[in-house]
Amino acid sequence: MVTMGSTAGTTPVSAAVDAGAALTYQPHVDVRVEQGDVVVVADMPGARTDAIDVSFADGVLSLHARVAARDLPGTALRQEYGIGDFRRSFRLGDGFDATGITATYSLGVLTVRVPKLAAVRPRKVPVQAS
Amino acid sequence: MMRTSRSGCAHPLDDLCAEVDRLWTNLIAAPPLHGWGNQPRAGFPAVNVRETDDALLVEAELPGLASGDVDVSVAGDELVLKGERAAGPKGSTGEGAAPDVVWHRRERGHGGFQRRIPLPVPVAAELVEARLVDGVLSIRCPKAPECQPRKVPVSAG
Repeated sequence: MVTMGSTAGTTPVSAAVDAGAALTYQPHVDVRVEQGDVVVVADMPGARTDAIDVSFADGVLSLHARVAARDLPGTALRQEYGIGDFRRSFRLGDGFDATGITATYSLGVLTVRVPKLAAVRPRKVPVQAS
Repeated sequence: MMRTSRSGCAHPLDDLCAEVDRLWTNLIAAPPLHGWGNQPRAGFPAVNVRETDDALLVEAELPGLASGDVDVSVAGDELVLKGERAAGPKGSTGEGAAPDVVWHRRERGHGGFQRRIPLPVPVAAELVEARLVDGVLSIRCPKAPECQPRKVPVSAG
């Protein structure tokens, strides 16, 4: 059974203080299950492909995108959002193929597909006429 | 003022109704990205604006949008951002997806938006540059020549 509990349940949606000095944000996500595979789509603008960590351990999928500070010159007239790392994790449970996980980053959106283990996929058994 | 029913007594549900209205208003005014809906909304996307000696720098986060999906223009003393995030594969919000799809989270919105940002100083509209990289829109609006700093030489008397 897939339980889609976010392990960051106590974290406010927009911002939380990480262990370091920089702020860490919880990205907005879409999570869907397609034929047993879990697909997570996360808005992580401003990251780079080589600065994104996707890991799966003990049934928990963790996403972490490091976002470098954008040091713009001048003085701030309007500051409506903060810039920092994105981090979020999901408890998926057992029955997933950790070696088959794929992740793509495009236009500031991370898409991760966690395939279901072949052993737990439903298998249709053909019924033969005798 | 508390409304009263026809019998002249305050209806106990009136308070509840007002409270629900108040909560609903707070919900509609939710933080950025949550505001991405089917109706173009003011206030989305959130922007950061900085001012240097010779330009205004505007930045907004628009994940999932390609450069062709955003329209940046200067109208009078306002900078206008317009665009739309598709509901299809690009936005991955999954309309038209396979029927055996079960959704567990749908936090990423889609739809159109329009934001008008007042500019504190006149800008040279024809020199405005915009770039959209990894979902971050960066706009540089050079100030109009008459607003650029001018160094006044001090002559010895």
